[in-house]
Amino acid sequence: MSGHDSKYFSTTKKGEIPELKEELNSQYKDKRKDAVKKVIAAMTVGKDVSSLFTDVVNCMQTENLELKKLVYLYLINYAKSQPDLAILAVNTFVKDSQDPNPLIRALAVRTMGCIRVDKITEYLCDPLQRCLKDDDPYVRKTAAICVAKLYDINAELVEDRGFLEALKDLISDNNPMVVANAVAALAEIQDSSARPIFEITSHTLTKLLTALNECTEWGQVFILDSLSRYKATDARDAENIVERITPRLQHANCAVVLSAVKIILLQMELITSTDVVRNLCKKMAPPLVTLLSAEPEIQYVALRNINLIVQKRPTILAHEIKVFFCKYNDPIYVKMEKLEIMIKLASDRNIDQVLLEFKEYATEVDVDFVRKAVRAIGRCAIKLERAAERCISVLLELIKIKVNYVVQEAIIVIKDIFRRYPNTYESIIATLCESLDTLDEPEAKASMIWIIGEYAERIDNADELLESFLDTFPEEPALVQLQLLTATVKLFLKKPTEGPQQMIQAVLNNATVETDNPDLRDRAYIYWRLLSTDPEAAKDVVLAEKPVISDDSNQLDSSLLDELLANISTLSSVYHKPPEAFVSRVKAAPRADDEEFADAGETGYSESPSQGVDGASPSSSTGTSSNVPVKQPAAAAPAVPAPIPDLLGDLMGLDNALVPVDEPTASSGPPLPVVLPPTTGQGLQISAQLVRRDGQIYYDISFENGTQSVLDGFMIQFNKNTFGLAAGGPLQVPPLQPGASSRTLLAMVFSQNVSPGAPNLLLQVAVKNNQQPVWYFSDKGSLHVFFGEDGKMERTSFLEAWKSLPDDNEFSKEYPNSVISSIDATIEHLAASNVFFIAKRRNANMDVLYLSAKIPRGIPFLIELTAAVGAPGAKCAVKTPNREFVPLFFEAMESLIK
Amino acid sequence: MGIVFTRLFSSVFGNREARILVLGLDNAGKTTILYRLQMGEVVSTIPTIGFNVETVQYNNIKFQVWDLGGQTSIRPYWRCYFPNTQAIIYVVDSSDTDRLVTAKEEFHSILEEDELKGAVVLVYANKQDLPGALDDAAITESLELHKIKSRQWAIFKTSAIKGEGLFEGLNWLSNALKSGSS
Repeated sequence: MSGHDSKYFSTTKKGEIPELKEELNSQYKDKRKDAVKKVIAAMTVGKDVSSLFTDVVNCMQTENLELKKLVYLYLINYAKSQPDLAILAVNTFVKDSQDPNPLIRALAVRTMGCIRVDKITEYLCDPLQRCLKDDDPYVRKTAAICVAKLYDINAELVEDRGFLEALKDLISDNNPMVVANAVAALAEIQDSSARPIFEITSHTLTKLLTALNECTEWGQVFILDSLSRYKATDARDAENIVERITPRLQHANCAVVLSAVKIILLQMELITSTDVVRNLCKKMAPPLVTLLSAEPEIQYVALRNINLIVQKRPTILAHEIKVFFCKYNDPIYVKMEKLEIMIKLASDRNIDQVLLEFKEYATEVDVDFVRKAVRAIGRCAIKLERAAERCISVLLELIKIKVNYVVQEAIIVIKDIFRRYPNTYESIIATLCESLDTLDEPEAKASMIWIIGEYAERIDNADELLESFLDTFPEEPALVQLQLLTATVKLFLKKPTEGPQQMIQAVLNNATVETDNPDLRDRAYIYWRLLSTDPEAAKDVVLAEKPVISDDSNQLDSSLLDELLANISTLSSVYHKPPEAFVSRVKAAPRADDEEFADAGETGYSESPSQGVDGASPSSSTGTSSNVPVKQPAAAAPAVPAPIPDLLGDLMGLDNALVPVDEPTASSGPPLPVVLPPTTGQGLQISAQLVRRDGQIYYDISFENGTQSVLDGFMIQFNKNTFGLAAGGPLQVPPLQPGASSRTLLAMVFSQNVSPGAPNLLLQVAVKNNQQPVWYFSDKGSLHVFFGEDGKMERTSFLEAWKSLPDDNEFSKEYPNSVISSIDATIEHLAASNVFFIAKRRNANMDVLYLSAKIPRGIPFLIELTAAVGAPGAKCAVKTPNREFVPLFFEAMESLIK
Repeated sequence: MGIVFTRLFSSVFGNREARILVLGLDNAGKTTILYRLQMGEVVSTIPTIGFNVETVQYNNIKFQVWDLGGQTSIRPYWRCYFPNTQAIIYVVDSSDTDRLVTAKEEFHSILEEDELKGAVVLVYANKQDLPGALDDAAITESLELHKIKSRQWAIFKTSAIKGEGLFEGLNWLSNALKSGSS
């Protein structure tokens, strides 16, 4: 071996990054451009090329627009990960925002807005201010959007620098594109601010209406959506607005159409002239119908919106019911929506046609659709008195087909029809009773039972029919049980004969004694007492006249309906839920650190990851997307290291979430095992162990700060584990200076968060501080920590317990290397670990010790320890009801008698 | 070693550019000097947060001149620009006597950088047009230029506003680069 062998350890290969670095610093422009392209390519496929940040940024000052765009792209992607170095790009932005080429100016201002680094925002205000007043409209409109983005990063700065006023000035811009973008930006800002920022006055209204005619389709959507917030002063004002908006109904873009419809509907409220309203309704119909010729997804959105519109103003589409007839190839979600609207539009005039359709649908193959069609027939019957008979005859025809689910659905709706038209159609009960045996769905059963009870006096064999249900009473779902109870009482009151009397006894007994359902029990007791006190009063109560029902299913409350109509063409009108129900708007309050805590704790990033949609797509939108930032929980989940995938969820799910640190508690003792080496913890070393002191389990944990900065705000969280062990209070660690260490005892408690599965002693821990990401590590304790002070047993109870446990619950293990030198010392030693001595005996030259221990949840271990004093080798036999803990027990025992 | 030598060689005499860093404290006049050299006129400047880079042709040499921001916050990032640098132009505000000590400290810490071992140093004692500006000898004294042993250096009295002394310095620089690498 000679010294020359060292050459094998040095390599001439440099790897991709240094190669790229060299090329980026090349003297030749072409080479630099190629290198940047390679960097972008690497970035696109997910390689981390952030280490080339300065080299790429150095290519930024170039005449070449293509190269500049590439560098900007790189910046947008990596500025966040290199916030300090991002400052190097500032001067170039400033220069580019003054470039003679408007494209470069706009590019610079757009990129600036996308770089969400707090440190450089203030440097970017001057260029932004300039660009807002640029000669070129393209630059101005880009700057307008940039203000909205900046507002998201630093609202205070935007307000202090007067950008909001500048934006409002842009509404009066002579270029419609600029107006539209200013409106979009203001709307976006308004969405995230609690204060009124953007209010449309009669002056801006004129400006917006003028710009509306000239700007792009998406610009029109922005303007229309903003206009929908304008409250017209009187009917004339409203008419004027509507007049200017109406031409938008002809637009090819469905988002424009829906937004226009929204405004017209809102303004129609104020218009008093019936002629005008009728005219408007006429004008709105064709565009709405046209929406239904688009793709199924758009159709669905349109249908959901139309559903709302029809509830408010049925006249608009009253004559268009045919377009809502389902086509055989419509997707199911479109069909279901169409059915809903058909029911709403059904009238005496078109009911024949509609019933024909429904009947057709009821014979299709899709079960859900068929059910809905059957139910639709019933709802039409309830809605249209004059058509009820026709509806019922259709239902009867369908029942005759004897398709199980059709029959059941029909029975459910017929019950409602009986409620709606009492004493009219009872003649069909006989037909219904024929299908009695086929009923297997709770709702259908309950309906049928209701019918039997209600019309017991007309059904000759009502008692027999009911009795057939009674056998299975205890197994029935609560819904059916309740109906059975009531129906039996009705039967008894109507026919107080012997049969029903026995039935009522059985049912009341079943419903009071044999059930856990409080509703059922209470109802049964009420009946019971009523019947036993005053049967006449019972009659008055149970057989009282029922109020007539009307079809109000799927009808929205009028205030909700108005709110949803004001949100037409957003997600809200598709969900039929007010926006607050599914999005949390990020209102711009001073951002306290605490507020971001959940996010930070989750990802380890100091910046909140959930800023919602990028400002690039501000404000509202097409029919399918919401106009509010959607808070995405766990947006940055990939940041969590892979080994403990479910810890994240548990971190968020636990009630005793991360708790901040208060005062330090000192702790000392023997060195602890290292659970997080400094190489993993970026300099932070964590050592920890579970210990038991004075009957309490503690997590003895020590932090050693090997980083260059002060670490503070330590918090800890435990994943679900076998014993449900969790932190009993906040982790108390003082701010750690570089090089300092701190050790503390964290009291642990047993919570209900017990992890299922085979027991183990694995403790998954997450620790965070304000400076670093969340660290995850696993710690493996020993079972003897869990041995309780209450584990001592009396001799007699030990013997009884030993005998009562079956022999296959006995396990034994040899410890060939353990030497017991003194029985007394061993007993003392074991007792210190809460393994209690009960008795001993001698067997030949062996000593046999009987001991007991107990772990949480009251699981005992009955132990027989056999060993010869002084000689190696011990045998441990144990009996316990929970055999899955035995391996853990043997491990603990081994460490105790070592 | 040979590779480095060839690269240096070709960088001066080939059609490649000499890479020059313009450094100095904030408000020393670096950006004004850069554009005076490049365009021959005085531009109004704002503090450079980041850098400017321009190509200046002089004496048949193309200089790729990097003007780096002098703010305290940006100084730590100067080192990102050190590799492959042939020359440093260090600009001192001769009228800002209070901060000459800081200027000296920054200057000497730059000189200690490994990556700048071979770089030629040109000092501009700038703002000579201002009353109370120290002359080149005084600046030489304050910056302790005499301590420089292992490299070529020179100091020139300049006024970027008036355009005095800049090209004399550049002239020296081009000669130094030519002689240094031949």
